[in-house]
Amino acid sequence: MATTSQKYGILAEFETPAAAMHAAETVRDRGFRKWDVFTPFPVHGMDKAMGIKNSKVGWFSFLGGVTGYTSGMVMIWWMNAVDYPIIIGGKPMFSPFGAFPPCYELTILLGAFGALFGMLFMNRLPRLHHPLLKHRRFALATHDRFFLVIETADPKYSENETRKLLESTGSKRIELVEE
Amino acid sequence: MSSPTNSNTPAPIDLSPWRRVPTLLIAIGGVLAAFGAFHDYKQFSYSWLLAFMFFLSLGLGGLILVILHHLFDAAWSVVIRRVCEHLACLLPIMAFMFIPIALNVLFASPEMQIYPWIKMLKTHEMDHALASKQPLFTVPSFFIVAAICFGSWWLFSNRLRYWSLQQDVTGAAVCTRMMRRYAAFGVFFFAITLTFAAIMWMKALQHEWFSTMYGVYYFAGSVWMTIFTVYVLTALLKRQGPLRPVATEKTFYFIGTLMFAFTVFYAYITFFQYFIIWNANVPEETFFYVLRERGNWFWVSMLIIFGHFFLPFLLLLRIDVKLTWLMIPLAVWAWIMHFVDMSFNIMPVLHPEGYHLDWMDLACVAFIGGVLAKMFLKSFNAHPPFPQKDPRIAETMDVYVAPDEFVQAATARGINHKSGGSH
Repeated sequence: MATTSQKYGILAEFETPAAAMHAAETVRDRGFRKWDVFTPFPVHGMDKAMGIKNSKVGWFSFLGGVTGYTSGMVMIWWMNAVDYPIIIGGKPMFSPFGAFPPCYELTILLGAFGALFGMLFMNRLPRLHHPLLKHRRFALATHDRFFLVIETADPKYSENETRKLLESTGSKRIELVEE
Repeated sequence: MSSPTNSNTPAPIDLSPWRRVPTLLIAIGGVLAAFGAFHDYKQFSYSWLLAFMFFLSLGLGGLILVILHHLFDAAWSVVIRRVCEHLACLLPIMAFMFIPIALNVLFASPEMQIYPWIKMLKTHEMDHALASKQPLFTVPSFFIVAAICFGSWWLFSNRLRYWSLQQDVTGAAVCTRMMRRYAAFGVFFFAITLTFAAIMWMKALQHEWFSTMYGVYYFAGSVWMTIFTVYVLTALLKRQGPLRPVATEKTFYFIGTLMFAFTVFYAYITFFQYFIIWNANVPEETFFYVLRERGNWFWVSMLIIFGHFFLPFLLLLRIDVKLTWLMIPLAVWAWIMHFVDMSFNIMPVLHPEGYHLDWMDLACVAFIGGVLAKMFLKSFNAHPPFPQKDPRIAETMDVYVAPDEFVQAATARGINHKSGGSH
């Protein structure tokens, strides 16, 4: 059983955020695609060091917000002015001013849904298991260690070359992670 | 046109042809405004009030940005603090710009009064609204309010800049403590005086009207326009050199975030002021907006909805757009929009039939703007361009200065913290 196990990637451990950041810059400049960095806290500038572009999650919240606003307006117009018109306080049957507060709330609600579910979708979450969670030292990523992992699925991956590259970035502990 | 926030900032622009612009503005604006005062005194008074309220925003916005910087103990805004301090110190100059308004209240004949309630006082024809607003709406109260406003603005803008400049020399922590103390008291005085200023100088044009949001409405528009101005000044000062070492991408991103926040905040306040009055539907309140839906004032209000809110809102939505050259024309647009907004509040009283841009509006804006530009440049040139010895200046410049204990502990563990472990 164990003999058929596949390799997930190669994991390098660092002791300081700066070391992880410099390593990320090196890996980015070599053109790797399937790799990631894990840190116990957000490190400012890491996005840039990893070459990560602006997140696309914003588009999901934008679409959610636009949907919420328009559906709110259409709903109130249809209910108050078409389906069951009642005169209240001498106001017009439908006015964008009166309808605005609920539409605004719907904009926020669906915008937030867009952000949440967009984030889960882009991250391919939820998932029940990840190969890294099996690795015994990886738990330190929530404590005081910084990890950089390059997946075997990356087109530029080669076991010896990648290990040498990570060694050159100053990592003292480099291990293979099994699937 | 390249991004104003690039790390490789392009070479400085030759600004020497522009050196005489403030003087020219003062001369041309001053002559035209003086001519206008004799030609059509009433139009001149309203134009002057418009220009006054427009530029008062800049000083008040600068003051609150300095106060907020100290209250939040922010690191990023150390870079822009000196610029904001100089903007705040324009407020005492605005006290001199108040003179034509004061003269109008004191000496103008009833027909020439800016404020209809003063005309009523002078002709002894008080209406119910005015009688129930005594003793605030009397001439002595008008000047007491003005004195308290300008007095506290002078005190706080002057003291905050004094201790900031003091720290440039001494680097002492006591300066920061003093600035925090002035900021903590100042924020209360600021809120009360700004509200009184907006009520007495602008809202009192229609003294029958009620709106509890009017002060915060003026505040939102003022800070909105000031932040755009600060963005342009910072971008320009980075390109010309003085702020090159300290103004980073982060600085511009955070100013941009504030621009976005105040775009939404302004819309929120403006909408709910309208919405509450629309919903309650009481004639004592609705007449304010009824007047502003007649003639082409309706289209001015549409311009405010779409130009003051939707255009900047949609443009500022993207995270990365706050770092592009697009912000410069948008700042010009923000000045125009704030001017339109102030006109929308002031001018329907004089021109209920519709909006028209009077040449005296521009003359007064040119004159006051020229004076303020000259004073700003004078104080900017006399002092260092950013706080030199602020305790957070290293943090602002993204330089990490490790505390001594940490260095010792790290050395004991065999970590070279400076090179970040890359041996």
